[in-house]
Amino acid sequence: MELEKEDIQGLMVRGHGNLTSARFLLYNCTDPKGSCDFLKEITPLITHAEEKPEEEAIHIAFTYEGLAFLNLPAPVLNSFCREFKEGMSAEQRNSVLGDIGDNDPENWTWGNDSIHFLLMVYAKDQAQLDKSMLRIKEQTDRCGIKLIHTLPTGLLQHQKEHFGFRDDISRPVIRELLKEAPPETATTFPAGEFIMGYKNLYDEYAPAPFVPQELDKKEFLPYHPDYPERKDLGKNGSYLIFRQMHQNVHAFWKYMKEQTDEKAAAIKLASKMVGRWPDGSPLSLCPMQPDSALSESNDFGFWDDDQAGLKCPMGAHIRRTNPRDHLVTEKSKIDSTEMAAKHQMLRKGRPYGPPITPALDPNDIMDASEDEQERGLHFICMVTDIRRQFEFVQNNWVSFHKFGGLENDADPIIGNHYNNGKFNTDEFSVPNYPIRKKYKNLPNFTLIKGGAYFFFPGIKALQYIASHD
Amino acid sequence: MSTIHRGLTVTVTIDEDKLSNVNALLFQFRNDLKTNRDQFEKSLPGTFFISWLTLPSQIYNETERLPARIILMTSYVGDKQEHLNELVDFLAPQLNQVFGESHEFPDNYKGKADMLNFLNKKSVANTFYSGFKFLTTSDVAKEKELKSAVWEHAQQLNATNDASQLSPSYIKRQIEDFVANNPALNWAVEEIPFARQNKIQMLLPLVLLGLVMATSIICIVLCFFIDALFVKIMAWVFPLFVIIMGGLLLLLRQNEKNPHMASEELSDEEIRKIVALETHPVLNEMTVIAPLKKGWVRRAFLFVSLKLVNFLTYFTYIPTVHTARWLQLDKGKRLVFIANFDNLSEAYAHDFVDSEKRTKNMAVIFSHAFGFPATRWLIHKQYNHRSKYMKGVRAHQKITQFWYCQNQYESVENLKRNRAFREGLFKEMDDEAIKKWLLTI
Ligand code: HEM
Repeated sequence: MELEKEDIQGLMVRGHGNLTSARFLLYNCTDPKGSCDFLKEITPLITHAEEKPEEEAIHIAFTYEGLAFLNLPAPVLNSFCREFKEGMSAEQRNSVLGDIGDNDPENWTWGNDSIHFLLMVYAKDQAQLDKSMLRIKEQTDRCGIKLIHTLPTGLLQHQKEHFGFRDDISRPVIRELLKEAPPETATTFPAGEFIMGYKNLYDEYAPAPFVPQELDKKEFLPYHPDYPERKDLGKNGSYLIFRQMHQNVHAFWKYMKEQTDEKAAAIKLASKMVGRWPDGSPLSLCPMQPDSALSESNDFGFWDDDQAGLKCPMGAHIRRTNPRDHLVTEKSKIDSTEMAAKHQMLRKGRPYGPPITPALDPNDIMDASEDEQERGLHFICMVTDIRRQFEFVQNNWVSFHKFGGLENDADPIIGNHYNNGKFNTDEFSVPNYPIRKKYKNLPNFTLIKGGAYFFFPGIKALQYIASHD
Repeated sequence: MSTIHRGLTVTVTIDEDKLSNVNALLFQFRNDLKTNRDQFEKSLPGTFFISWLTLPSQIYNETERLPARIILMTSYVGDKQEHLNELVDFLAPQLNQVFGESHEFPDNYKGKADMLNFLNKKSVANTFYSGFKFLTTSDVAKEKELKSAVWEHAQQLNATNDASQLSPSYIKRQIEDFVANNPALNWAVEEIPFARQNKIQMLLPLVLLGLVMATSIICIVLCFFIDALFVKIMAWVFPLFVIIMGGLLLLLRQNEKNPHMASEELSDEEIRKIVALETHPVLNEMTVIAPLKKGWVRRAFLFVSLKLVNFLTYFTYIPTVHTARWLQLDKGKRLVFIANFDNLSEAYAHDFVDSEKRTKNMAVIFSHAFGFPATRWLIHKQYNHRSKYMKGVRAHQKITQFWYCQNQYESVENLKRNRAFREGLFKEMDDEAIKKWLLTI
């Protein structure tokens, strides 16, 4: 099935890497009518997937609260999934996401308050961004829309994140986006894993919100292929997960230095935690030292020659968030691959805050003195099933300290590390000959500052939202 | 004697209007458990899990109301009568209070003997699975301590210059010497008790079944040469088995053509009530109870399937599950399933639907339950989707008012790895095997 690219927001298919300046804006509506007017005005400006923007790109996404404020009819609101309706900061979600203790939504700077929608503004440079922001401000002010939070972003050198590791290397490939049929062995994913309205890995249409046909009076929406009485509000849309994660860069490298006796060993330990060397080369392919020729390599697995985790530990961030072809609980490579494939996400995050050193070389970062700067990652991902994809990974693989037969190990990079006397999640275990090494008392290297679940609609769905009666 | 894990299921009917009383009692016990867990652990040394719940009435075949019930399900190790004694000695007042609400409870209840009698009489057969076979409750803590003491001790090996050059057999010997010479750990020098008996006991029914079938096949041939009654009777066993199974399958296929009926989805509110009880950081429980789809063949097929699965539990593997059971109630019209598993139900249920193969295995049992996806020839999916499986599970998931788990800290993989370490101690191995074994530490 061909993708309807002109109806899909462009962020689904590209990260706008050429648009280096970006800002994420969180808004509240004060009047449904004014807000709908704003949406009608902004809809033609939303960047779709057929465009390759050189100057500016704009995307929009709504919280459940926002859609309810816009008075979407009850059956439509009800048709969204429970996780979205409850919202990321709801009590029921806290234990699933590990948002307890330091990460409790009570301590967040946003996301625990009312947010109606998110605008993502990307521009080729700061001047263009300022121009776009001015225009948007004029429009929102006129329509009675209040800017609640502005989240700046800043791309870092060499595609790095703040700890000094190359990021954004591994991305699931959407089959329908390939110009030629992929080779048999290539790992690709059906669009329905990330874009609603298409078949997913279960050969089903991804679960999606709908509008009873009689409520789509202006006929904006296509019919749902499985339910002839429903209009498909989800078509060409997705759920967008947003988590603002503060990174404690100083604490991260301080820990590595304390546990080792030289810089190279500290970098090796940090790399064991990530699963890649700072330049991006995967430990699975070059376990002893980085190999810059492999810095973009993503063609590797764990089943054939690293089941024990002697190269890339079971608890490493990339092995937990994507176990690829090896899950300890599975009996075969095929089963592991099948299971892991069901829990993928399209990551679209951007770092924010100034880098601790410009080039983010760990050797320099370790020497840098602590500062008070706020920096981190706006983790963003797109999925069609919040629970099966994002929450499953966050809960079962990232937070669960028993993942992969481990004992007290949450994800070393992004896990919520605690020790309450009865349960502890603050260890990192590295298989080793003769005896496994265990690093203890890991502090939290990241901290959740805010977050929300958004609906990232297709263009027609946006028209429906803006113009429904 | 053995250390095989088994499941006890005791159930009685109850008037619907008494459910709220019993629920309140069971929730009260759940609350009490927060303060008297130590006593539970001390007084129930053979018990791994207890799920105790009420089940409201359910509708079978659109018209027939199946009664409300109280169900007590325990996972224990060893002998059933010993387990019942242990339960009654410690929980008699609670058992009396709860089961006393049922008109099936003896009016003239006098004490322990009556309670034992009652529990025996009301217990029903179940197909039981354990993911950490043959461990006793005390093994759980002991094997964990053993491994962690060895790890602490072995740190000095890591610190040795050129640790990677030390030979595997040298390291193994160091570890074994440490265990043998440490009075707190040298219990591990002994072989694991009942290891062989356990295996034999679990496999015996399967071996006997195989023998009967093999004998039957031989007798079919012998029939041509020997005119003996025994040979003739035996010659019928295997063909009869095949004919009955084939016939049931054909009838099932007919039944599968009935239009699929979806069960009513659980409201978000109900789901929230269920997941609110899943608060344990390591393992949780799930109870799913559904009426079957209509037609006697569903009941019969499920009955036979559960019996056959029973023969195979030694070889069955369900990831992340500590113990699970399946059984039929109310003349086979209800399917009961409970599992004690690692982490949360959402993650656990995914272990089934994510794998094509496992969805088929699960269909052997769950496809008979109302609201679960329609199948063709038992395991092939029909017109409705795999996500419906998750919905089926949630639609029939029940609140377990009282839940006790003896082991709070170890995942099933932890338990298995601790056991693998103990099994390897003092065992002859080549260097490659030793290297693998060292990774269990
Ligand atoms: C500040 C927070 C985070 C940092 C510093 C971070 C860092 C990294 C790095 C350095 C990589 C390797 C680059 C690559 O393979 O593309 C990576 C990969 C990945 N991360 Fe994160 N990450 C963070 C948060 C998260 C979160 C919240 C999730 C989801 C729950 C996540 C999921 C992933 C996934 C799925 C991969 C790709 C794994 C693979 O396919 O091999 N990350 N991350």
